[in-house]
Amino acid sequence: MSDPSVYPFPAIVGQERMKLALILNVINPALSGVLIRGEKGTAKSTAVRALAEILPEIEVVADCPFQRAPWDDAEICRDCPRAACREGILGGAVPGTVRRRIRVVELPIGATEDRVVGTLDLESALKRGEKQVEPGLLAAAHRGILYVDEVNLLEDHVVDVLLDSAAMGVCTVEREGISFSHPARFTLVGTMNPEEGELRPQLLDRFGLCVHVEGVHDAAERVAVMERRAAFDADPERFDRQWEPEVRGWVEKIRLAQERLSEVRVDRGLLFEIARYGLDAGVDGHRSDIVMLKAAKTHAAWKGRLEVMRADIEAAAELALPHRVRRQPLQDVALDLKTIRRAGSVGQGVS
Amino acid sequence: MRPLYPFEALVGQEEMRLALVVNAVNPRAGGVLLRGEKGTAKSTAVRALAAILPEIAVVRGCPLHCDPARPEEWCPACRIAGGQPAAEKRCAPLVTLPLNATEDRVIGGIDLGAAIRDGVSSMQPGLLAEAHQGILYIDEVNLLDDHLVDVVLDASASGTNVVEREGISLRHACRFVLVGTMNPEEGELRPQLLDRFGLCVEVAAEGELEKRVLLMERREDYDRDPRGFIARWEDQSRELAARIALARERLARVRFPGRLRSFVSELSRENNVAGHRADLVMEQAACALAAYEGRGEVTSMDIQRVAPAALRHRRREALPPPPPPPLPDPPEKENDREDGENGGREEETNQTAPQEDAPQNDQRNETLPPEALSAEAAPEPPPAREGGESHEEVFAVGATFTVQKFSTPKDRVLRRGSGRRSRSRVSLKQGRYVRSVAGVQNGDIAFDATIRAAAPHQRRRDRTNGLAFVLRDEDLREKVRERRLGNFLLFLVDASGSMGASGRMAASKGAVMSLLLDAYQKRDRVAMISFRKGEATLNLPPTSSVEAAARFLHELPVGGRTPLSAGLLKAHDVLRSQLLKDPALRPITLVITDGKANAPLGEANPPVEEALALAGRLAADERIRFMVVDTEEVGMITFGLARRLASALRAEYFKVDNLKAEALLSVVKGYTQ
Repeated sequence: MSDPSVYPFPAIVGQERMKLALILNVINPALSGVLIRGEKGTAKSTAVRALAEILPEIEVVADCPFQRAPWDDAEICRDCPRAACREGILGGAVPGTVRRRIRVVELPIGATEDRVVGTLDLESALKRGEKQVEPGLLAAAHRGILYVDEVNLLEDHVVDVLLDSAAMGVCTVEREGISFSHPARFTLVGTMNPEEGELRPQLLDRFGLCVHVEGVHDAAERVAVMERRAAFDADPERFDRQWEPEVRGWVEKIRLAQERLSEVRVDRGLLFEIARYGLDAGVDGHRSDIVMLKAAKTHAAWKGRLEVMRADIEAAAELALPHRVRRQPLQDVALDLKTIRRAGSVGQGVS
Repeated sequence: MRPLYPFEALVGQEEMRLALVVNAVNPRAGGVLLRGEKGTAKSTAVRALAAILPEIAVVRGCPLHCDPARPEEWCPACRIAGGQPAAEKRCAPLVTLPLNATEDRVIGGIDLGAAIRDGVSSMQPGLLAEAHQGILYIDEVNLLDDHLVDVVLDASASGTNVVEREGISLRHACRFVLVGTMNPEEGELRPQLLDRFGLCVEVAAEGELEKRVLLMERREDYDRDPRGFIARWEDQSRELAARIALARERLARVRFPGRLRSFVSELSRENNVAGHRADLVMEQAACALAAYEGRGEVTSMDIQRVAPAALRHRRREALPPPPPPPLPDPPEKENDREDGENGGREEETNQTAPQEDAPQNDQRNETLPPEALSAEAAPEPPPAREGGESHEEVFAVGATFTVQKFSTPKDRVLRRGSGRRSRSRVSLKQGRYVRSVAGVQNGDIAFDATIRAAAPHQRRRDRTNGLAFVLRDEDLREKVRERRLGNFLLFLVDASGSMGASGRMAASKGAVMSLLLDAYQKRDRVAMISFRKGEATLNLPPTSSVEAAARFLHELPVGGRTPLSAGLLKAHDVLRSQLLKDPALRPITLVITDGKANAPLGEANPPVEEALALAGRLAADERIRFMVVDTEEVGMITFGLARRLASALRAEYFKVDNLKAEALLSVVKGYTQ
């Protein structure tokens, strides 16, 4: 059932915060993504790829290039390159659906703009004389995860496209003679090594959560990392079988948390707590408040509770605030929450 | 698609909402630019506007949305049809211009679908045509590519769009309200484009806990059940839409008393506004406001309420203010509409107006000079710490400012890399596709252009090979891609003792920091060499991490003699190795010094002459551009050594102060006069 070439998610040693941030995003896609910052060799990419195995399932129109949910309107079908399906749906037929896991779509650094947003389908143009759109990576990532490794090295004009789509959950294409738009709501997961330059602030803000990873310092854990890796490399299938029950456990836990999420309540007093965090830390705009609230609720659901507690808000603040603190120009991204609050209150005194 | 967040459900941001409503009522108010930090509902507000725009009349079936009431503007097809055409009502369009749009879709061109299907060339209207009588919305407008900015400027200035491509030749009216949002962190707007926006609003986050909580609650409600949320706001939305529609009807009957004209022009004059656009905008916006509030005559209060937004981006002596810090409570009821900085500005404009009807002054008139405003980002220079060694100090970074624009001229050399400073053709299949040319050289075929080129010939071509569409070699078109490249900036910083005198190093660090900020926005690569105490060190090898450079700058100590020659030599080494790696590179070297060399390389050489001779040799490489930033203070005795260094390097020469961009204002002035 699972792909043996992928390292199992639960087998990753340590890095609890990164794992938590990823899981929260899986449970609640409205958190809109996570940025993983850290040095090389800290299992950043491994974790994201491993995520694919524990993702929940969604219902999709069979083979739909836009990942349409069966209950969505058929507006986008008009521009669909799959002629048979298009004619059928526009003719009133009910499309077949499949249940499949949420996908992780990887956006390579060198991707051209037309690959990202889609372009004219040349084959149908030349062979059949039809103007059809060949959807790009953003269409493939709709309702899924868009993963950008080394996101800080992404070409500027591709970043612009990402910003555009991430903002409204719609990808608008007005280029090369084509004019169409399709929904593109995805969880943006990026990894980066800060030594190679920072992200643009606007893009940074689009990541709901941000974690900083470091190599494991504990000697015993380091040994565990090596042992597991060696076991995995020696016989991936066996390793995978070993971890299978654990993986199943996580999948089930995620499913339960998702069901619980809509019922999680939050006391109004705690909302003030969230707002105060934002003000103390001196963040730009309101996105951090909104994300913190969502993250706190999701955290509560993940911990099996129906009521948000202060601990959930603290966990949410740790994930949602560090990259949003209004920095002095060119200052480093803050790494830990205590300094944020302190810096915030000092900063207020000055300004 | 997800239903849009309702306009009425926005929390706070009164000035932004007012500006948008004013434009919905009266397109002649000239559009809005929303500037502000991220996450402040800028885009949400604009998109929400679509739902409350009034209806417009268009000629039935006209793809260019001709206005039946204005025959002089009709497109050729409507003119030929003549007579009184059948009109229909439709919602005013809100057209989004995505950053990655290509010119053919913006201006309009051949209909690709028809070309492929039927092999005919017919016209497909572009985004400009769609936006006619409506709103053209550009998100992140400061990132829009120059070639599109030109197109938009052209159309918005003339009110017409000219299509001349692929055998189509057409001129049609396109009057639209330009609405843009931007985050100033990502760079400023071109002055001409800035001036095109009638109003400009600074948006900041709400500082009140109560409002922040309310906002969270609404947003959470909306996310949980968008449709239900909108249904709950339905009544308010409909009411607002009706009110705007009514106001638009009433607009023509709103009277603008003649005595207020002098008030308006006085406001403009007091604020040093160039040109008359501000006057016009204030008048139209005030009319819209009166109409919206159901009054038949404009009052001076209306003008005062719209004046800050009309003047903010046009004032000449001030830079656009940075995101305003939340100021304490606005003092009066009426002032609730403005908050923070904006309130302050309004009062200021009031006070400068000699009219007796400026009722709501208070004493908050101390608008800071621009330097002071932007300096708030940098801490006050603390008393300098004593370094470990004799006479070595670390100075804080002085005030930063916006630096003026400098870039290498665009040329025809193909390059690789990425960034934002200089425009260049690029050789890889990356970069933005700007247009197409006939012929194929590097295999980067522009399929759309190729098909358009082939379309008119399809009927005559032999289609026996089973393809629906026949291409020949002569149809092939290739993409011309262009993108901005970051340059390589080498900072050569004088850290000798003479720089320590009277805060000069703090000022110089401020200058370097400003240049670094600029380098960040343009995605440059940077390197830094400092020279002091008889040697030059490459403190920062070439890197794209401008942060590393900034960190280093903070720690840079000062003290000792001035080995200018050694610095130049080191610069030469670094530049040479960079140029070997990438011969197409056009590095910019910034020398920050007072030029007082006193530590020669050769024992017996006179230090200044040695440095100048070296400089002369460096200047021989034409690929390198030099800039000298002179840090010598203007005082009783000036040596002018840095100027001599500049001429030896054939460099541009700046005093620290001249680096500052009087950006907007001087250029706007040139444009509007």
